[in-house]
Amino acid sequence: MKTHTKVIMLLTLGIVLSALIGCGKKEGETKKANKGMVFYRSLPAKVKGFDTAQASDVVSNLVISQIYEPLLQYAYLERPYKVEPCLAAEMPTVSKAGLVYTFKIKKGVYFQDDPAFTDTGGKGRELTAEDFVYSFKRLADFDNQSTGWWIFSGRIKGLDKFREMSRKKKGKTDYNLEVEGLKALDRYTLQIKLKEPYPQLLYVLTMSYTAAVPREAVEYYGDEIINHPVGTGPFKLKEWTRGSKVVLVKNPKFRKEFYPSVGEKGDKELGLLDDAGKRIPFLDRIEMRIILEDQPMWLEFMNGRLDISGIPKDNFDSAIGTDRELTSAIKAKGIKLWKRPLLQVNYISFNMDDPLFKEKLLRQAISLAYNENRVVKMFNNRLIPAIGPIPPGIKGYEKGKVNPYRKFDLDKAKELLAKAGYPGGKDKNGKQLKLTYEAAGSDITNRQRTDLFIDDMQKLGIEVDVTYNTWPAFLGKVRKRQAQIFGLAWVADYPDAENFLQLFYGPNSSPGPNNSNFNNPEFNKLYDKIKTMPDSPERTRIYEKMADIVMEECPWIFGTYPLSYTLKYDWLKNFKPHDVGYNLYKYYKIDTKLRRSRVGED
Amino acid sequence: MLRYIIRRTLYIIPIVFGVALITFLLFHIAGGNPAEVLAGKHATEEVIKDIEHQLGFDKPLFVNGEALKKGNLKAAFDSQFVFYLKQIVTLNFGRSYSTKQKVSTMLLDGLGPSLSLMVPAFIFGSLLGICIALFCAFYRNSFIDKSLVILSITGMSVSMLAYIIGGQYILAFKLKLFPIHGYARGFAGLKYLVLPGLIWVISGLGSNIRFFRTVMLDETKQDYVRTAFAKGLNKKAVLFKHILKNSLIPIITVLVIALPFLYTGSLLLERFFGIPGLGDMFINAFLSSDFPVMKALVFIGSVLYVFANLLSDICYAWVDPRVRLR
Amino acid sequence: MTDDRKNQLGNLPTGQSLWRDACGRLRKDKISFFALLIILLYSGVAILSQFNLIAPDYQKTDFVQRYLPPSGQHLLGTDHMGRDVFQRVIHGSNISMKVGLVTSLIAIPLGILFGSLAGYYGGRIDELIVWFYSTVASIPELLLIITIAYVLKGRISAISAIYVAIGLSSWVGICRVMRGEFLKHKEREYIQAEKALGAGSFRIMFRHILPNVFHLVIINFSLRFPAAIKTEVILSYLGLGVEKQPSWGLMIADAQQELSRGVWWQFVGAILAMFFIILAFNIFGDALRDALDPKLRGEKI
Repeated sequence: MKTHTKVIMLLTLGIVLSALIGCGKKEGETKKANKGMVFYRSLPAKVKGFDTAQASDVVSNLVISQIYEPLLQYAYLERPYKVEPCLAAEMPTVSKAGLVYTFKIKKGVYFQDDPAFTDTGGKGRELTAEDFVYSFKRLADFDNQSTGWWIFSGRIKGLDKFREMSRKKKGKTDYNLEVEGLKALDRYTLQIKLKEPYPQLLYVLTMSYTAAVPREAVEYYGDEIINHPVGTGPFKLKEWTRGSKVVLVKNPKFRKEFYPSVGEKGDKELGLLDDAGKRIPFLDRIEMRIILEDQPMWLEFMNGRLDISGIPKDNFDSAIGTDRELTSAIKAKGIKLWKRPLLQVNYISFNMDDPLFKEKLLRQAISLAYNENRVVKMFNNRLIPAIGPIPPGIKGYEKGKVNPYRKFDLDKAKELLAKAGYPGGKDKNGKQLKLTYEAAGSDITNRQRTDLFIDDMQKLGIEVDVTYNTWPAFLGKVRKRQAQIFGLAWVADYPDAENFLQLFYGPNSSPGPNNSNFNNPEFNKLYDKIKTMPDSPERTRIYEKMADIVMEECPWIFGTYPLSYTLKYDWLKNFKPHDVGYNLYKYYKIDTKLRRSRVGED
Repeated sequence: MLRYIIRRTLYIIPIVFGVALITFLLFHIAGGNPAEVLAGKHATEEVIKDIEHQLGFDKPLFVNGEALKKGNLKAAFDSQFVFYLKQIVTLNFGRSYSTKQKVSTMLLDGLGPSLSLMVPAFIFGSLLGICIALFCAFYRNSFIDKSLVILSITGMSVSMLAYIIGGQYILAFKLKLFPIHGYARGFAGLKYLVLPGLIWVISGLGSNIRFFRTVMLDETKQDYVRTAFAKGLNKKAVLFKHILKNSLIPIITVLVIALPFLYTGSLLLERFFGIPGLGDMFINAFLSSDFPVMKALVFIGSVLYVFANLLSDICYAWVDPRVRLR
Repeated sequence: MTDDRKNQLGNLPTGQSLWRDACGRLRKDKISFFALLIILLYSGVAILSQFNLIAPDYQKTDFVQRYLPPSGQHLLGTDHMGRDVFQRVIHGSNISMKVGLVTSLIAIPLGILFGSLAGYYGGRIDELIVWFYSTVASIPELLLIITIAYVLKGRISAISAIYVAIGLSSWVGICRVMRGEFLKHKEREYIQAEKALGAGSFRIMFRHILPNVFHLVIINFSLRFPAAIKTEVILSYLGLGVEKQPSWGLMIADAQQELSRGVWWQFVGAILAMFFIILAFNIFGDALRDALDPKLRGEKI
């Protein structure tokens, strides 16, 4: 019997222990206080953290930019996109040669209260020009391995030397080291000296990378600054359940700022100017739920638990009617649709280093055989066929332009293929032409797109073998120039065609961002010219010319420009989508009464 | 007994070393170089080199042969593997490539959600399995027993994906019995855990019942059972007093060994129901090529298994002294 | 034990009566016989689809006929590319059966080799092998499989990556069994006699002991086959498996998002195809185990 007692004891012990472990974590908030005006949205990926130096992905930016602020921002309502001051008091003065930028910084801007401000007993201190000097140096600091270093690399006088120093030093990087091109002339004046003109500097200074981070907080939290954002922005972090939920609340110390009173034509009719001149932010609280799968996200939106949503591909038919507008069932719920093109190009790239693709006619033939219409159809017309490297919405895109090699024409493709030396897909020895396509992942979208490409090539007479890669394996092949032909997309960092054209600049070849390794002397010469050229009609003309060269040479098969379909409930006011701006929630407003009347409870 | 425990515990060391070696081989040699991914879309050769250097991927894998020849021991063992061993000993797995968060913090954060899903489901599933198995054993070879066995085999043959996708679609979406997706800390989160927990119990029930039933039936063939019957004890008494107690030994052994699998056992469940646990973390980690997180999850999973195994062996030796002599 | 005695007396290479006895028992069991028929049917379909002799139009796309519900023309409707789902389900059996077979061909020889070396030689070799398999066994299997599949993806073909990942992760079970059996058998008289006659170690191991324990290999095979199929489906579902050929896991991944718009046929088709083969293996495996080795019943593998 003794054995049995032991067994029972063990069993009981096991159950008690596991029950303890299971319940240990179950402390929690159950209070249901009045939360005020709350904005609910979902995030399609996990929030990584809140460090401005690592703000490379959309989701992190969506959160960080509500908390931290940079010098400049995009005007909310005006189109085309325009930069306006954020923490700067006014737009900077620029020296004649375009090399020295002087910023006046707003007075009376305070950081949110945080224990990191030990001198003031936790009260947030005033923002100064020094904060930007410090924050920019953080991007350059080798120890931080910031994904944003590229925006300043080779641009600001002395900053590259600072990086070199931080790479070689022992111990901690010395931030007191002076950088010639980054100076706080006085408490509220920041001076940036450039090595050569950098026309995109103003765009760059709207990015979260360049937001003001207080030195006290970085020194107080060390590496953990990633979990303790301390910003000047309209909201601050209240709660973060990793992988599940982020809650932001209004920052009570946010300065006096007002809703814009200038908008685009039509904004007034949409009610977007109703709150002009009123103090922002309106929201008391922002709740962002991380929902990775489309299906649950869509169902939660339909239940009114989220205020805005995209439309998952497979729910498109039920939401959008044949006329590309919302179905009446959905409209009746008070849902409205916003459509707009994104600053993005989906493409298939040839590796120009591959001897096979030295032949321009072959590239052109393949490009002609690519039937973008089927892709567009597969994605429910949420894409528009691309004609060149520059998407609509920015200067350099020519409306109505025809790319002779980018309209599906199988007969002409076959003709060119024969001219290239491969009649019917066979070379002069009768050998079948075979290509290896590298896919960057094996998710459904990628697979479906790739399936279509293979099918197109088969019709042309070319056999395509696909390798589906993990992201690192894919990048490895592309950057080592081992990929023959591969599919990718480029999302703009700022609304300037230069951001797309740099992808064809010879010296940027792999492992740089020019993955096709396109190297055309004429194009390179033009790029050298526009690199330092400020915006002007002449520059736009050069952009167009550069696009023409790329279209003729076909280093890419220009695939599609995606459209964004955003759905929102009518209780969400002051909503206007923006491609490159993120700090928009300060303008949003919720009609809580309307929401209650539609959804029932809060 | 003490000697057995010590001997058995010491045996953990080579195993853990072996696990370290295998994970190292997988991630550092077969896994390739992560610097290209980390460099982001504006990568340059210089940035890639910098990252390699900072992560120590430019160090030799095991030993620096040249330094060893020169007799400089410190430089000779400044290698990736030694660094990894150091990480293991200090339980500091560095930072995630993708999120830059401390891996240890991420793991701790993920443990709660995983356990709060799996522990209740595991206990409930095991108890339910034992009860049904007992029932089967009691009525063995009857019609009910046979149908339950057939049902178990059928249940085992259905794919986990079918349970999850079907369960979420029918019970949560169509019938609206449960929330579709989500997680909350504390008791507010209970409603989110019911459906995935239930799915876990049901999907595992078939193999549980079948296994427990066999163990119990094996026990009925033992001599002492015959003796008990001979003594005139009735069927119920024998079943509960003797068979259940004795068959608990192998059952507990198996359950203890299964414990470490709880922490990732719910790989797909967590993904589907939005529970931010370790299983979901693993899927995310491999989708974003986050080697440090994958490595830590694999390593810790193995170590937990090693310890569970130790625990189960010690339990076994405690209840059955003959084992110690082996 | 009767078989062993026979071996000792007649020195037969295999315990033939064991097999004959097992076949007899299996034949009487109608359900298992039916399960075997299903397995043979799937194998036949898999072989035929390998050479594209049935369901030849499984890759044929027709953009006009997307998402058609089941009908006489398309038994299980069509998918997002307008391909016939039934034909793709048929071709899915090809991958599944191949995975079951090839991973066994990797894992079982590995297991036999290590197990027999450890069991037969003992000593240092045994310690080393036991250490090795204990190490591999302590890594959670699914994580190990996913990791191996992940690091191999894009380097070798997708299907080989699956073979290697599952094969290299699942040899421990058979290795343990073999080690135990070899340990037991090497002490038996018939082996001692062989040794005395001067037979070489390899001859003893693989000509004499192995045939006597081969029924355990068969049992292991029948148990790991459905497990491998299930694993392949999960891998493909996670995007670590095959992409170019139809696989049930891929079909489930595609179908999952279509469910809410009422496109259920791809999901149901793949799930059912998988269900029947695994059920057949589970039933047949059980029967085989009972017939070949009554002692083993109920062991969790």
